[in-house]
Amino acid sequence: NPIVLDLAYNAIDFPSIENRM
Amino acid sequence: PIEDLFTSLNRHIQRSEFTQAVKVANQVLSVAPGDEDAIRCKVVALIKADKIEEALSAIQSSQKVSFDFSFYKAYCLYRQNKLDEALEVLEKQDKTQPSMLLESQILYRLGKMDACVDICRNLQKAKIDSLEINLVAGLISAGRASE
Ligand SMILES: [K+]
Repeated sequence: NPIVLDLAYNAIDFPSIENRM
Repeated sequence: PIEDLFTSLNRHIQRSEFTQAVKVANQVLSVAPGDEDAIRCKVVALIKADKIEEALSAIQSSQKVSFDFSFYKAYCLYRQNKLDEALEVLEKQDKTQPSMLLESQILYRLGKMDACVDICRNLQKAKIDSLEINLVAGLISAGRASE
């Protein structure tokens, strides 16, 4: 079968912590 | 102080040093148990470090945090090939672009190609990079290459 990319992985992001620094 | 730990955490994240990021997130949590930003950073860093089992444990032990980890939990289950469990978790949460992407990938693995294609088509307006690759994979596997 053709390859399916793990696009869900790219949607996993770190929260913004700028205001905690 | 906790601000210094977050500065260090941020630096590790920027440099993709995910194992180090987990360590610093744990340092934050040792002084501020339940800190939502630290827990979220820890879970994401564990996933990015490919430590899926540990990411699930971290999610499990963060029940008191108000942030909804359903998508991350479903993603980890998908990575462990627990596809039905992953779908169950997704069904309980609101549909978002990430959750729909994941659902389409799970359906593909389950061989439910038509359903996979339907979701990719719904996401096409969102202009997600490389989405066409998964759409075409679904179409070919569904025997609908002519589309
Ligand atoms: K995959």
